[in-house]
Amino acid sequence: MSYHSRHRGGSRPFAACLGVLTASMLLAGTALAQPFSESPMLAERVSAGTLPAIEDRLPSTPHVQEPFESVGSYGGTWRQAMRGGSDNLLERTIGYTRLARWNREWNAIVPDVAESVTVNDNATEFTFVLREGHRWSDGEPFTSADLLFWYESILMNSDVTPSVPSWLQAGGEPVVVTAPDDATVVFTFAEPNALFLFNMATVRGANVLAGSPAHWLKQFHADHNENASQLAQEAGASDWAAHLNAKIGVPASRWRDAERPVVDAWLLTEPYDGTGQVVAERNPYYHKVDPEGQQLPYIDRVTYDVMEDTQAIVLKAINGEIDFQNRHIETTQARPLIVQNREQGNYDLWIAQPAWSNAMLISLNQTHKDPAMREVFANKDFRIGLSHAINRQELNQIIYAGTSRAWQAAPRPDTALFDEELATQFTAFDTDLANEHLDRVLPERDGEGFRLRSDGERFSFDIEVLTSRQFQIDSLELIKAYWADVGVEMNVRPVERSLSEQLRQNNDHDASVWIGGGGYDMLGLLDPKWYMPFEWQSAFAGAWGIWAQDPNDPNAEEPSEAAKRQLELYAQVQATADFGQQMELMGQILDITKEEFYIIGTNMEPDRVGIVNRNLRNVPRSMPNTYFYMTPGPASAEQFYFAN
Amino acid sequence: MLTYILRRILFMVPITLAISLVTFIIIQLPPGDFVTALSAQMSENNEQIDPATLEALRQRYGFDQPMIVQYWKWITNIVLYGDFGQSFEWNRPVSDLIWERLGLTLVVSFATLIFVWVLAFPIGIYSAVRQYSWGDYIATFFGFIGLAVPNFLLALVLMYFTSRYMGANVGGLFSADYVNADWSWGRIVDLMNHLWVPVIVLGTGGTAALIRVMRANLLDELQKPYVEMARARGLSETWLLLKYPVRVALNPFISTLGWILPTLVSGAVVTAIVLSLPTSGPLLLNALFAQDMYLAGSFILLLSILTLIGTLISDLLLAWLDPRIRYD
Repeated sequence: MSYHSRHRGGSRPFAACLGVLTASMLLAGTALAQPFSESPMLAERVSAGTLPAIEDRLPSTPHVQEPFESVGSYGGTWRQAMRGGSDNLLERTIGYTRLARWNREWNAIVPDVAESVTVNDNATEFTFVLREGHRWSDGEPFTSADLLFWYESILMNSDVTPSVPSWLQAGGEPVVVTAPDDATVVFTFAEPNALFLFNMATVRGANVLAGSPAHWLKQFHADHNENASQLAQEAGASDWAAHLNAKIGVPASRWRDAERPVVDAWLLTEPYDGTGQVVAERNPYYHKVDPEGQQLPYIDRVTYDVMEDTQAIVLKAINGEIDFQNRHIETTQARPLIVQNREQGNYDLWIAQPAWSNAMLISLNQTHKDPAMREVFANKDFRIGLSHAINRQELNQIIYAGTSRAWQAAPRPDTALFDEELATQFTAFDTDLANEHLDRVLPERDGEGFRLRSDGERFSFDIEVLTSRQFQIDSLELIKAYWADVGVEMNVRPVERSLSEQLRQNNDHDASVWIGGGGYDMLGLLDPKWYMPFEWQSAFAGAWGIWAQDPNDPNAEEPSEAAKRQLELYAQVQATADFGQQMELMGQILDITKEEFYIIGTNMEPDRVGIVNRNLRNVPRSMPNTYFYMTPGPASAEQFYFAN
Repeated sequence: MLTYILRRILFMVPITLAISLVTFIIIQLPPGDFVTALSAQMSENNEQIDPATLEALRQRYGFDQPMIVQYWKWITNIVLYGDFGQSFEWNRPVSDLIWERLGLTLVVSFATLIFVWVLAFPIGIYSAVRQYSWGDYIATFFGFIGLAVPNFLLALVLMYFTSRYMGANVGGLFSADYVNADWSWGRIVDLMNHLWVPVIVLGTGGTAALIRVMRANLLDELQKPYVEMARARGLSETWLLLKYPVRVALNPFISTLGWILPTLVSGAVVTAIVLSLPTSGPLLLNALFAQDMYLAGSFILLLSILTLIGTLISDLLLAWLDPRIRYD
């Protein structure tokens, strides 16, 4: 794989690994010579005659999982805690199973449930070979017929799936799935869909497997069971499709039924349907073994206490009631407590490296519905001036306890896409320079020193910030004072998240702040919304983002030439199978981002910490932290074990 | 008396309907709907959700219909079939969700009520009878502290101490061994071991308030001529106190009984959230945040009806207790 970094300073370990992906086959672990062994918990059930022998439960070629540090031993409970309602922690932990998934280092796709994955040269055809003898957690065979059921009865059934998700489309056509034999499944796209496997590794891939257990799902499906509607009615659902969707759907509904067959390492015994503790126990049919032939997972049970308040979760953590977790306890406010109580809670810390580029991006809506506001926000000098007026060093000290650094909306250091100029341009705190730029846009001031619009009114705007993000509200209060020093009046407007969503979806906001995505290469590829107007969430130009998603939307507006050029380049990324070329194209997109300077960045998102029980082994001490990586999923919790 | 009761019950029907309509409108007032709230929650976590999927969900839940149509569907299903609809977030019938939490909510609420009454009445009577004594000052002192300390703070402090120094689990009403177990003697004991924290937290404010009210009411009564009169006739001091002034001083409690019924069901939301109690308060709050409108709507409707029933009961009790009340 020959791939040259565009920028100085960027290490590029990812390219070499990912290059292997195209036009080649990814193979998982191979068969073993020695006999297989199992947990004492299951051996008991085998000798009692309630469970088939290990050889009959494992696929003929189990997936051999190399442990992170050492081969482990069986037993123990992995205790976690989550919020009631719709937490996604289950999805990230016991639910991180796909046909193919991220590797731990987050630089490649590895086969997971599939034995191998093959991609053709132009990324239109993806072939997954399943394991012979693979079984669902209830013992039923898992074959290509299951995936065909998902394709025909779930994805292509317009009652169940009214519109095919965009990642399963290319060239406006939905994917075609075929099953040449029992163990082979082929996904064929009309045009190249180079990001397909990356998408598969996110939560989307789990949706495929959730919709696959045909033998179980058929009872809920009207095409397969004439009583499905009656079944739905008894369960209180509005129709059979809603009932079926509840069984397989996101975000949390599929975890509300412990009956659902899975191919995960643990299966639910107490579902997530109320306030009780959620419990999962080892899946006797799990397809992975360690190099010594011991069936995984090592840990017997996984429990999740359901709490209403994150403070209580932090208290649980420092009390030693959580074995491994970062979600809910990683906030800036909780960090001192978590760090101080390591001895008492008997845990160590690990670094949850944010994949987010920025702790707070300020998006001034350049497609504002008021032409006067739009004219000012769209002026690059205005944004440059405001950027120079922010004292990022002071923000770092006051808000982030000195753990952060000045940063724009840009990929993080040590990534292939890193560009120092993009990351640091206009970050110098310099009020003279700020005034110089601002004077070119709004030269007139009133008696209090605030700048005036062309009609003589004071120029003033609101920035919307989520009420749940106190540190951003605090930062904005400081920035309000910095900007007042250069004569710009800004008001901080904390809003509830649904209101914020509504405003941005309709392009009705003045300005807003958000945490910046796209810090890692993979995330830049999958989530470029802060580098170009990609979707309505690209709040710096809402109407352009809406256009990129749907040009016919009443709030859509044709983007600038530069933005359209970026969208074209991104379309090329999606159609390019070669990872090196994808990065090259992303680099070109970022060059335009740098020139346009859409967003005012503040500080880089500082490292977060998670906790790990001191007896828990095979746990990496640092990993990326984002829903796209499904933290901690790719760390392979099935090979975690407790040292005796 | 009977016509009075009937008239009151008859009045409740239009009031209930009006409440249901207002409830429904209020729940729809916040911007967006359940789908907006869902996508907001997902984007706060930097998750993506296809706009087409959102649109499909809107159609599935019928959000594209006018509000009055949605209301009509909801209320007719309740009136005709007793069907409160489906919770969008939980994908379960609303009535199941509420029933499930009602039991423990009632346990917590009743325990608190008994705790409050058992503590407040004797102390209240004592500090009125022995006004400005040391005991009165101490009761007043703790009473004001109880009133002034916010429940959630007390909950956090107690939770910290019990978990740090008494080895208790953080939050909830059961320890890990019993949380998913079936009911048994052990589970009841386990519940009792956990119940005292929320009861104290929820009870302090109420106890303090009740002591103050009892004291003030009783002080008013003790000065009245009928007390002197009874005393002059040689009634024993205790009998006199309990038979006349205390009975009159009880009036305000009876008339506020109407508000106790809904709080029994909703519980104290903030405390329940801090302590992660499996009661109905957090469910209601979550439903409001998630704009899970049938769940939230049915909840508020239920609470409103309970307030009406509670008011009716307290009016009847008052009429029975206080002969001065007339029935017109």
